[in-house]
Order: sequence, then structure tokens, then C-alpha cells
Amino acid sequence: MGIRLTGSHLEAIKQHGERTYPEECGGLLLGTVEDGRRVICEVLPLENVRPDSRHNRVELSPLEYARAEREATRRGLGVWGYYHSHPNHPAEPSSFDLEHAPFTEWSYLIVSVRAGQAEEVRAWTLREDRSRFDEEEIEIYTQS
Amino acid sequence: MPKIAIPTALRQYAGGKESVEVTGRSIGEALANLTEQYPELKKHLFDAEGKLRNFVNIYVNDEDIRYQQQTNTSLKEGDEISIIPSIAGGAVSEEVLKNVALPDLNKEEIARYSRHLIMPEVGMEGQRKLKAASILLIGVGGLGSPLGLYLAAAGVGRLGLVDFDVVDHSNLQRQILHGTKDVGRSKLQSAKDRLSDVNPHIQIDTYETALKSDNALEIFKDYDIIIDGTDNFPTRYLANDASVLLGKPNVYGSIFRFDGQASVFYPKAGGPCYRCLYPEPPPPGLVPSCAEGGVLGILPGIIGVIQATEAIKLIIGKGDPLIGRLLLFDALKMKFRELKLRRNPACPLCGENPTIKTLIDYEQFCGITPQPAQTAETADWEITATQLKERLDRGEPITIIDVREPHEWQICNLEAYGSKLIPLGQFTSRMNELNSADEIVVHCKMGGRSAKAYELLKQAGFKKIKNLKGGILAWADQVDKTMPKY
Repeated sequence: MGIRLTGSHLEAIKQHGERTYPEECGGLLLGTVEDGRRVICEVLPLENVRPDSRHNRVELSPLEYARAEREATRRGLGVWGYYHSHPNHPAEPSSFDLEHAPFTEWSYLIVSVRAGQAEEVRAWTLREDRSRFDEEEIEIYTQS
Repeated sequence: MPKIAIPTALRQYAGGKESVEVTGRSIGEALANLTEQYPELKKHLFDAEGKLRNFVNIYVNDEDIRYQQQTNTSLKEGDEISIIPSIAGGAVSEEVLKNVALPDLNKEEIARYSRHLIMPEVGMEGQRKLKAASILLIGVGGLGSPLGLYLAAAGVGRLGLVDFDVVDHSNLQRQILHGTKDVGRSKLQSAKDRLSDVNPHIQIDTYETALKSDNALEIFKDYDIIIDGTDNFPTRYLANDASVLLGKPNVYGSIFRFDGQASVFYPKAGGPCYRCLYPEPPPPGLVPSCAEGGVLGILPGIIGVIQATEAIKLIIGKGDPLIGRLLLFDALKMKFRELKLRRNPACPLCGENPTIKTLIDYEQFCGITPQPAQTAETADWEITATQLKERLDRGEPITIIDVREPHEWQICNLEAYGSKLIPLGQFTSRMNELNSADEIVVHCKMGGRSAKAYELLKQAGFKKIKNLKGGILAWADQVDKTMPKY
């Protein structure tokens, strides 16, 4: 399907990962679907609400999610994905990610952070049968 | 009518609607009505067995139904229902049990494990995971005793035990698996009897062998978790290397006198291994073993129980494991400290370009030369306890030098034969107390430290020297049966 976002969106995701390093971070991707591609208009960093294992686990608050949905809907947008960081690990989905990914319609962005420095960001989608992730193309657009 | 808010991602299956009005007096009925109106939603919300998918949370007016009456939660006019995905992710999965069929618990097991079952963190699922799990314990001594007892009691389905020793009186101060009646028995038999009594519902497999490079992978491969409860460097490196090569977690613990350490080495889950912490073993003899330096009997209890706790957490997949952390315990100060351990990218075993791909000769790696086959004959630099006694009885003037520590001297000594105490640490500075013209016999507890004293004397030009073979323990065995052994 593919995902479009701006350089400053990518930068926001990387900075969030660096800020919370060595713990994981996460947030939502708000936007629309245009021509079969998810177009992201806003990156919404949320708090990691996991009480334990924060170095390799992230969990977002369900109520914050509900609030984001309402806010997005009000502005004619939707929640079309989420991002999280992998401290000291590659930007590839883990088996834990596979077990916990909610929607086959979403984009899943992962940023790898090593020694406090964000490295690459990669985008993934969940197959229809939930058996695995496939990588999807990240297209950078300039906000007009 | 109550309304259900649909998340963006699922609106395409609900006619593009942000929310859908439904009928029903309970959540269950409302959801059934929703999927009747929009059948395509069904497979996104429910799994093949018709249960809500694990990431689907249902909230009524911002309250999670899990904390109300689940799908029986009743609804009233104007209630707002939200379908909220639980959003979680993580770099690696540390759970050691993946995609295994979990066995059921029978009635007796449910009664036995009830204190686990009523904890939400364990529950039926966690207990069934414990039953499905297998753990290999290397050594059923100081650490292996609490490990075996608690892991068996906790219901770990299969325990493998590796040991080849027999129970000795000096074990009983800390190896609480074994009793006085077991002295002289194989430790494995004694352990198996005791553990089967603690929990007859588990399987116990024994390996009466020394763990070596040629059998470690074969023994390890069928276990989910490896726990090293031994007290020597070759086995420690062997257990580490074999665990890393097989991608299994290695729950580490070590003890000495009043100090203990514990960690979980699990490179597959992103943590370091023992070699990241200690790339090379210390020179042989530098770090004393518990047999040489002693250990507080309680210490293996504390460290072993920490190891058992970590193993159980890994199995049930809960909490913060000791991966990447080294826990240090000081019993005298009664303090725990924690060091962060980082994975070494240059580690020859788990680093980015590993050079160790098979098991090696760990005795050689640790600088331990193979012991020549034991013979009844003594080398000309040695004297047996019997020979020494005969010569002393003939009235030969022999100077006996005990190189042990003062607290060992207090347990037993050869003072009756004029023995003199010069601890090995003071040996060089006090050598002038000795006369090279005298016939000198040096001894320690078992013959190791006195061999070093022998070398020092030889280098200093002493010629008429002998080492007491087997140390004072050999004297207690061969000459004086009334002498206490330690």
C-alpha cells in the first residue's frame, strides 16, 4: 500500500525514540487514505504505560487512543497506524510485534535506536492472515 | 439506542461509519447485533473460535468491560461503546515458550497450584506454561538444591539434572536436597527421590556424567532453559557457549563466602552472554573455589532462589528479567547492587562477527592441564600420609610446614608432630624461618596450595623437601581416623 509522510514527521519519531532511550516509545499516526496510500498528517507521541520491561516493551493507553480517534475524526482524519522504537535492535518487527499488531489496515513504523542515536525508520504492514509483516515503501512528501 | 464507535481502520467494514447504533441489553448482544449489521467486521473482531481477539478492548463510557462483567456488562440507553485496540510492541520476545501446545492441568494439579492460579500474572495460562516447560540444572549441589526444590514445587513439567558426584558430609551445610541418610549415595539418585516426593506430577531426567564439549549440545537441545549451578570455570564457559549456540537462556549464579551474583544471559533476546562480561577466564588458581575458600551455607539458598525466580519469569513471560543486569549480593552488608551489562559487539560468541561456532576444549581454555591418571605410585617430590607417619614413628627429624590459613588450622592440624603454620600468602616473606638443611614436608588441605609452596622452596634452592600427597585430608583417611575432615 505504501505510506507517505514528511521529513519532519520522521524527525519527530526519531527524536521521541532518542528521548526515551533506552526505553521504548510509541505514538499514533494520524492522516487519511488517498489513492490507496496512507498519507500521514500528524505524528502523535504518546506515553509508554507499561509498568515493567520498558527497555523492550511499549504499550499505549487505550483511553489516549480513544481520545486521539475522536480528535482525528473531528478534523476529518483517522488513526492509520502507529510507531514504536526498538532500542538496540533493528527496525524489524519482532514476534511480539506480530502477536500484538491490531489491524491489517495499518502502517507500523519502527525506529531503531542505538546508543541513544536514532538510526533507520522502516514501515511494515500486517498480512491479511496475520501470519507476517511485509515491508512497505516510505514516501517523503513536502507539506504545502 | 447504544452506539458503538468504530476505529478508523475498521470503518471500511462498517459502511464507512464512525459509529453504529445497535440493539442489545448487554455488550455481548450489542456486538452480535453489530456483526449482524456488518458481517465483514466479524473476522476483525473475533478469532476463529468466536472469542474477541486479544487486541480488542471494549469500553463502555470510558470503562473497560474487563473490569466489569466482561461481555455480560449491561447496557442502557445512550451508552457509548468504544472498540479500542490495545497497542503494544516490543523489540524482542523474551518468552521462552512459543507456539507450544499447553497441556491441561488435572484436578490434583489445580489444587496443588492454587496459590499460583489465583494470581493474575500466573493464572491457568502461566501454570500450563510451567507444565509445558523444561529446565536443565547443571549440578545438584549448593545452587542446584534450592533450584530443584522450588522449580519442582512450582510445577515445571520436566527437570533435567546433570551431576556425577556422591553426597559427602561436607555438602550437608548447604545442599538441602540431600540428608544425612544420603551420604555416600549418588547425588542424582538422592535428588530424584527428594524432588519426586516434592512433586510427583513432574518428570525428572538424570544425566550421571560430567558435562563435556562432546555431550553438552545433545543434552541441552531438549530444554527450554539452562541453569548453571556449578562452581568451576570450564563448565561455566561450556554452559554459556552451548546455550548461546542453541539460542537458549542461561540463568547464571555464582557464590563465594558471603558474596553472590546472578544474571540471565540471553543474547537471542538482545542481552549479553557470560563472555561479554568475562571474555577470558582468570588464571587457574587465582579465584578460589568454594571448596578452597568456603561459602556461607545460606548463600546458595539466596542466589539459587533468585535463579529459580528468573527461570519462572522467563517461562510465564512476566516482569523484568535480569537480562543485561548483573545482580550482586553481599550477605554481610545485606545489600543488593545492580550493574548494567552491555552486549559486547566484538564478543567472539554472540557479537556481530562471531568466531566461536562450535564448542571448544574448556579445560584447556581455562588453563587446566589434564590430570595424569591416578596411580598408587607417588612422584619423587611427594610423600604419602602413611609414609610420613612411618618415618615420624621411626623418630626421623622432619619439619612439617602447614601452608593453610589459621582458621583451617583450628579445625585440624599436625601440631602433635611439631607442625608449624606458615600460610601460603606469607610463605615468601617467612621462608627465612626455614633451614634448607632440614628435611621439610609441606602440606595444605588437599595438596594444591602446598604444591605451590614446594615450587617456591625449590626455586629458593631447598633440596630436601616433599609435598604431602592429598594434604591433611589424606592423613585423616589413612593415618588418623579420629581427625575431623572439612
